[in-house]
Order: sequence, then structure tokens, then C-alpha cells
Amino acid sequence: MKYWDQLSEAYNRPLKGSLDKPLEKIIFIHLATSLPLPAERDHIRPRIDLIVFMINIQSKYSFKNVEASLSHMDAKFFLGKVCFLITGAGRVNHCSVEMNAVRKLGNLHCSPVIFCELDSEGIRLATAQRLLRILQICAGHVPGVSALFFSSLMKSSIDE
Amino acid sequence: MDKQDELLKEAEKLAKHMSLYQHDLAPAITSNIVCSKDAKEELLDECEAIWRQLEECQSKLTLLGTETLPDSGAQLSLLMMRVKALTAEYNQWQNLSPEVISTNSDVLVALGKEELQKVDHDLEMVLSTVQSKNKKLKEDITREQQWLDEQQQLVDALDVTHEEMKNQVVQFSEKRAFQELKSKMLKIRTYKEEILSALGAFLEEHFPLPEEDGNAKKKKKNPAEEPTVQLVTLHEILESLINKLMSTPHEPYLTISDSFWPPYVELLLRYGIALRHPEDPNRIRLEAFHQ
Repeated sequence: MKYWDQLSEAYNRPLKGSLDKPLEKIIFIHLATSLPLPAERDHIRPRIDLIVFMINIQSKYSFKNVEASLSHMDAKFFLGKVCFLITGAGRVNHCSVEMNAVRKLGNLHCSPVIFCELDSEGIRLATAQRLLRILQICAGHVPGVSALFFSSLMKSSIDE
Repeated sequence: MDKQDELLKEAEKLAKHMSLYQHDLAPAITSNIVCSKDAKEELLDECEAIWRQLEECQSKLTLLGTETLPDSGAQLSLLMMRVKALTAEYNQWQNLSPEVISTNSDVLVALGKEELQKVDHDLEMVLSTVQSKNKKLKEDITREQQWLDEQQQLVDALDVTHEEMKNQVVQFSEKRAFQELKSKMLKIRTYKEEILSALGAFLEEHFPLPEEDGNAKKKKKNPAEEPTVQLVTLHEILESLINKLMSTPHEPYLTISDSFWPPYVELLLRYGIALRHPEDPNRIRLEAFHQ
């Protein structure tokens, strides 16, 4: 859980001071350990623009949990509104999950895979800014670029 | 037309400000123009119309309900969905005709100002980045210059030392060197002779040949035995082993002949002075002490 906190803290930092006060309140980060989300809160839940699945590849449980959660997802989210954030890849000797399996998961769900080392503050901040940019696109705040177009663009650049 | 002229003047003022390479951010563009109520109302009406459209779309989306991926052929169905969605998006872009943001000049002026302020802000950021880079480069140059000066000082000091040593060097004479080598060789030779004679004396004193009377007794016991060969001294055995090792280091083994007294051979082997051939027990060599 501390990884999520670290990322949230880094994620919110670019917003502070860089956006106008009313805009600051628009971005919500909802943390969940697994899916599905409780149905009784559906009516008060705001629109979800981006889902980030965080996988710590030093833990097999983390990978299995994400795999299980994916089956509860609405298929429309896979049209550019999902991405996988992989942590712990820096220490290869501690990895419990094969890198190939992670890439396969991303490929299967047509979603981008982002790697991030949470131990480094610089990388943490850069990843938060990347996610923020993806979120802006997914929420439709970048004119002329849709989530689907952006994910297709990312996929084609990876394939090349 | 006046408003456009005013906007151009504002732009010129902004450009002048930016060319001054100031580090502080550009001042906010203030203007005497007050946006008319009509312009504001027009914009609000447009926004409300767009918002209504959005709400309609949102309600349609919520009615659609969730659709999870099938267990088998998930990737195929997902790719099909993507194809459909991309095709729809493509058609949407194809049918879309560019629209003018607003025909109201007040709105356009305000937007122009906002855009200019954005550009100004971005350029200020670029400027500060470039300035910090320049500062860093200047520091690097200073440091490199300092390092270069230090290296130059070092080279100068070494040159001075080199010159001093050049003056001190005595002219080298080949003849003198040859004479020195000759005298060294003579010294070594005499030293070698001394050592060998000392070794000979030591061995003669402590390791003499077996006495003749001992042999005579043996002969009396075995009258049928043939006369024994002339035995060599331990000194001679050692000398032949040394010579063999030095002359043919690749083949240092010596065959044990009848002239070698067996107790002496045993003595050399037991105390690690000589080594037996791993395959032929009748051959021995001197231990390579010099290596």
C-alpha cells in the first residue's frame, strides 16, 4: 500500500500550484486493492477516466490479483482507458513474475505497460507526470486526441 | 478593426518585454477593453448547449451497462471492438467540418490575449532553462580551465626536472659498461668456484666413499660375485645432476648406474634433493631449487 501512497503523493505534486484552484478539485485518485468495486456506491461514484493496474513483480500475489480483477472490468475501458504500471523491475534477482508474462498481459488487453522504480523520487515524479498526461487525454482535455487514438499510437510505437 | 489594432499593439508590447531577457514572468496583459455582456451571454449559451449534449451522451452511456471480456478469445473480441471504435472515430473526424470558435470579436480578442500569455509563459520557462544551462556551462568551463592550469603547472614542473636531470647525466660509455659486466662475471665465477670447492670439501669430509675393507669382506662372502665397478663420490653424483639440469633443463633426468652407491642415491631421494622419474625408477633428477 505504501507504493500507492508514494505514487499518489508524487502524482498530486505536479497539480499543486500548476493548475488553477477550481481545476485542482477535478482530479480524484481512487485506490482499490482489487475489483469489482462495491455496487452500493455506484450512484455517488464519479466518472472513471483511467484505470491504472499496479503490479509489483516481486510478488506473485500482486500479479494474480490484477489478473483476477481484469475479468470484472467493463470491456470499453480497454479502448485506451487502462494501463499497467510495473514496479520492482530494477532488482532482477528479486523478481517473482516473468517480464514476458507482464508484457503478454499488456498485449492481450491492448493496453500500455509503464515501468516505474518507486525507490527513486525522480522516476516517481516523472511517472506521475506521465500518468497525469495520459489522464488528461483519457478525460478528453486534449483537443483532437482521444484515449483510443492515443493508446493505438503508443501500441504502434512499441511495435515498431 | 480598432480592437484588432489594439491586440497587435499588445502583442508588440509583449514581444518587446520578452526580448529584454528578463528573468521574472511577464506582467499580465491588461486592457481597457471590457467584454460586453452580449459576448459573455453568447459564450454561456454555447457552453450550455454543449453541456446538454454531453449529458445526453453520458445518460446513453450509463444505459449501455457493463460488458466484460469473454474468457476465450478475449484478445480477438477486444481487437474487434477496437476496430469498430477506431472506424467510428475515423468517420467522425471525416464528417467533422472545422468550426470557428466564435464570431464575436470580443471573445476572439480575449482568446488571443490568453494564447499570447501562454506563449509568453512558455518562452519565459524556456529562457530560464537556457539561462540555468548557460550558468552550468560557465561553471564547467571555469572548472575545466582551472584543471587545465593545474595540468600546465605540472607539465612545467616536470620540464624543469627533466632539464635538471639532463644536466646531471654523465655521458654513458659502452666500453665502461662492458668492463663492468666483465668484472661482475669474474666475481660470479670466483664465487661459484669457492662454493663448489666448499661443497666438495664438505662432502669429502662427511660423505666419503665406502671403505675398501668392507668390500673385501663382501668378496670373501661371495667369491662367485664379479668384481664391483668403481663407485663415484657423492660430490660427483651431485655435480653430474647439476650439470644435467643446467645443460638440458627440458630433459634433466640421469640414469642411475652401478657406479652410484645405492645408500647415497637413497639419501638424495629421501631428503628431497633428488626426485625419481614418475615412470622409470632407474632415473633421477635434481630438485629445481633455482626456480
